[in-house]
Amino acid sequence: MSYKLPDEKDLEAMIGIVGKNYATNNKAITASYLAKSVMGLESQIPDIVVRPKYPEEIRKILIYCTAEKIAVSPISAGLSGGFACPTIRPGGVLLDLSRMDRIIEIDEENRYAIIEPGVTNGALWSYMHKYNPDWAPPIADGAPPAATVMGDAIDRGFTLYTSSVGPQGDNFMCAEIVFPNGDVVRTGSWALPFAKPFYKYGIGPDMWSFLMGSQGTLGVVTKAAVKIYPHPKHKTIVAWGMSNPHDMQNLTLEVAKQEFGISHHTVMVQGGNYPLVMAKWPKDKIPHDYEFFKQIGVPKWWMNWECWAQTQEELDYTVKRINSMAEDYKKNRAKDPEEMKPWELHPKQIASRMKKPNKIAIPYSFWEAGFLFITWYTPWNECAHFSDMYCAAMEKYGFPPVMWIASIERCRQAICMPIVCFDSTKQEDLEKVQQLNMETTEYGLKQGWLNYRPDPYIHIQAYYQAGMYWKYLRAFKKLVDPNMIMHPGRLALP
Amino acid sequence: MAKTGMERLQELKSDIFRCIHCKACRFAYSGEPDREGIGEYTGKQGTVLYEGMVDACPAGIEYGWEAFWNAGKIWIARSILNGDLEFTEEVRDVIMPCITCGQCSAQCENKVPTVDIIESLRAALVESGVPMIEKHQLVNRLVKELNNPYGGNKDERMKWARDAGLEKYINNKDAKIAYYVGCTASYRQVEVAIATAKLFDQLGMNFTLLDDEVCCGSPFFRIGAVDTAQELMNTNLENFKKFDKVYFSCAGCYRTFTIDYPKWMAEGEKLPFKTQHAFELISDLISIPKKKKELPGKIEELKKKLKAKPDRRIEAELKSLEAEYNRIKDIKGEIKFKPNKELKGKVVTYHDPCHTGRHFAIDMEQEMIKKSENLMFDSRKIDKMIDDWFEIPRVILRKLEEFVEMYRIKLNSMCCGAGGGVRAGYPEFSLRTASLRCDEANAVGADFLTTECPFCWRNLYDANEMYDHGLKVMGVLEMISTYNLLDIIEKPEF
Repeated sequence: MSYKLPDEKDLEAMIGIVGKNYATNNKAITASYLAKSVMGLESQIPDIVVRPKYPEEIRKILIYCTAEKIAVSPISAGLSGGFACPTIRPGGVLLDLSRMDRIIEIDEENRYAIIEPGVTNGALWSYMHKYNPDWAPPIADGAPPAATVMGDAIDRGFTLYTSSVGPQGDNFMCAEIVFPNGDVVRTGSWALPFAKPFYKYGIGPDMWSFLMGSQGTLGVVTKAAVKIYPHPKHKTIVAWGMSNPHDMQNLTLEVAKQEFGISHHTVMVQGGNYPLVMAKWPKDKIPHDYEFFKQIGVPKWWMNWECWAQTQEELDYTVKRINSMAEDYKKNRAKDPEEMKPWELHPKQIASRMKKPNKIAIPYSFWEAGFLFITWYTPWNECAHFSDMYCAAMEKYGFPPVMWIASIERCRQAICMPIVCFDSTKQEDLEKVQQLNMETTEYGLKQGWLNYRPDPYIHIQAYYQAGMYWKYLRAFKKLVDPNMIMHPGRLALP
Repeated sequence: MAKTGMERLQELKSDIFRCIHCKACRFAYSGEPDREGIGEYTGKQGTVLYEGMVDACPAGIEYGWEAFWNAGKIWIARSILNGDLEFTEEVRDVIMPCITCGQCSAQCENKVPTVDIIESLRAALVESGVPMIEKHQLVNRLVKELNNPYGGNKDERMKWARDAGLEKYINNKDAKIAYYVGCTASYRQVEVAIATAKLFDQLGMNFTLLDDEVCCGSPFFRIGAVDTAQELMNTNLENFKKFDKVYFSCAGCYRTFTIDYPKWMAEGEKLPFKTQHAFELISDLISIPKKKKELPGKIEELKKKLKAKPDRRIEAELKSLEAEYNRIKDIKGEIKFKPNKELKGKVVTYHDPCHTGRHFAIDMEQEMIKKSENLMFDSRKIDKMIDDWFEIPRVILRKLEEFVEMYRIKLNSMCCGAGGGVRAGYPEFSLRTASLRCDEANAVGADFLTTECPFCWRNLYDANEMYDHGLKVMGVLEMISTYNLLDIIEKPEF
């Protein structure tokens, strides 16, 4: 597929739509949108950047670019640690939606917030902390404050409530989408002109889910309604340490199965291994051997249950039940019972783990000069297998075996996130990361595991094995994006 | 051999590549989402929600484009190093309107030294032959001709001292201590120079003012005119090398002598004198006598605790207190503040100048990181050292009748808008930023907005006048002098 390289005439057209202050081909400005880290190493300097404010401006831009066959890549503000979906080849127009940052409505009775795509985690959190303190938005736990709520949904991410209520996509009720063919579609109950955003499936079937994971390849979401949840005062963290990922996996699954009971109180269930602590510090300024971490009380592997409850009584009960289940597991079924221990956290550690949004995912660049989350979804009871495989692979390539794992919807899925810490100033390190990524993808796909937002050269491996799915995905794209202008290259499309 | 800008940029390559483009650096309090604030306030520059994290990058707020927020500029630097972008006027016009306040660096979990990077980028740009913006060319020419960027007559640099009856201190041959006044206090905010010199006089300090003092070079290090800056640096080093100690009343000059000179001097060279800001001296004279009384008791208490139960943390605390006591026990001097009726019921707030506040804190942190062998252990020490640093002016301020903090303070303080060559180059943006800061002072009901930098003073004063904020802008030492607050209990020895 070939695309037109935008020229001065195209810039004039963009300026005609959004005004001269909001469209540019200034090379310094366009270069500033690069992002080769965290979620992907592929990034290309766009030719033009446009910062629209209104859906109608977006509609005109997309109609123009469709007619001219100019590639368009939208970004919400927006990043989930590194621009989530930066422009890749062939460049073209980058739509920076950061000016669309209105928090339009918070409805505590119907429990939703209506937001624009540029609303950041930090902004929505601060706003609700002040004006709706009994409620909280489902922002991604671990994503930095400048990441957007909408971007997390479009990437089919997770949230701070994910273990209890499911993935971020499930929290989005209704959306307004501008497609490249010029149509503006409202999904869910919003399909009816006067309906509140109370029912995701609307007049059916659900079109919004098609955009979950679309990464800007189908259209531009200009407004959406997202569920909000209670923000009770009774919160704590329960943590258990163990020597291996298998005990972590199995105990966590036992707790998660307590549905309609304690597992609905566990909003964020996440764990990992000691290199997860180690790699947040510069490589030459932290001991690497486990003995040091043992001395300071860090287990080899651990699992945290972040528990929220409406009353202290409910919270105490949840903590007590998790601890008693862990004791029982240790006594009767643990692979290595000797090493299973409750991890007594200092109140400051508890407060730090419960802070939202937070910066915990950021400092892995401190180890050397760059890192990549190579994230996968697996069935929960395969996350230990995944960890064993991936930690070995990272060590084989000379990277520290940093592993983070979290439960989605009470361990129906695991989000497994190996964090590859490397020196991005070195070409040989970049090549090693790519080799590691390809090798493990080949293995992972054979197990039936799913990549989460991979680089395009990795994603193509997955779609290669899902030809029929890709055929219908392409057909849908063709329907809404006849000239295939939206973020070409992502999702192995067009 | 002094370094070139490009050499400095190359030296910083690993730091530049540590930026993951997470954009946490756009906020003050990026790690404190639940920080209790003062709510929404509508001032002269619009409405700001002072809760949790707040946008705090002046250039980002003003211009909006990604390139103007810090992360964008770091990725521009990366593009330059990678050869994806060349130095042009477009690049200049994006990297120059940055106040280099260092808010971004303070927020960065990967400890990217953003100010160093931006200044080196500017230096490399100027070296590459891209012309400076006209207003920067003008100040560069003025300083070469007149030794100051204001166009002031060389012979009138010490006019303020003569006018104030302080001529005995000009070229005072017996002195081992010098007061470096700086261009702003010599030619513009003479109130600051007079107040400082009078306080020194009252305290019995035998100091000198040098008639042939030249600009410290601060604006020229900031705008990339490193040749000019280094010439000025060499003149100052030559002029002041015979003194044991040099005092400052300007945050920018103090930072330049203390932090910049060693970085731009040839490898292995060190400053030939000690440096201190006048507010540190005043603060010491308040706090040291108190510490001398309190520390022996605290030390005894810790010794008892240790005897009862050995503890690594208590042992470390004891060592630190003993070292502090040994440092101060023979220091003489004590001052108190007298009440003044004119200040009765007046609310005083304080603006932390970036140059004495954040820049020193970040420099201390970077130095500690370099020296540390286990940064996980040393990180607490770093945090404490930074807290202690920001407490120094507050020791003075808390002695004033009603001292109230603004929302963004200390490491998270919002810039006044004057630095980085912005006041000279982009005066409207500079004053809008100062007005934003005045809004914040208005939001806490301040009558007095104090600071400890004549350059901040100037910008805040001008914004206060232009936008009618109704504040009284004053230097802290100026306030002490104007309202005759000083009560000398014991004269210090110098």
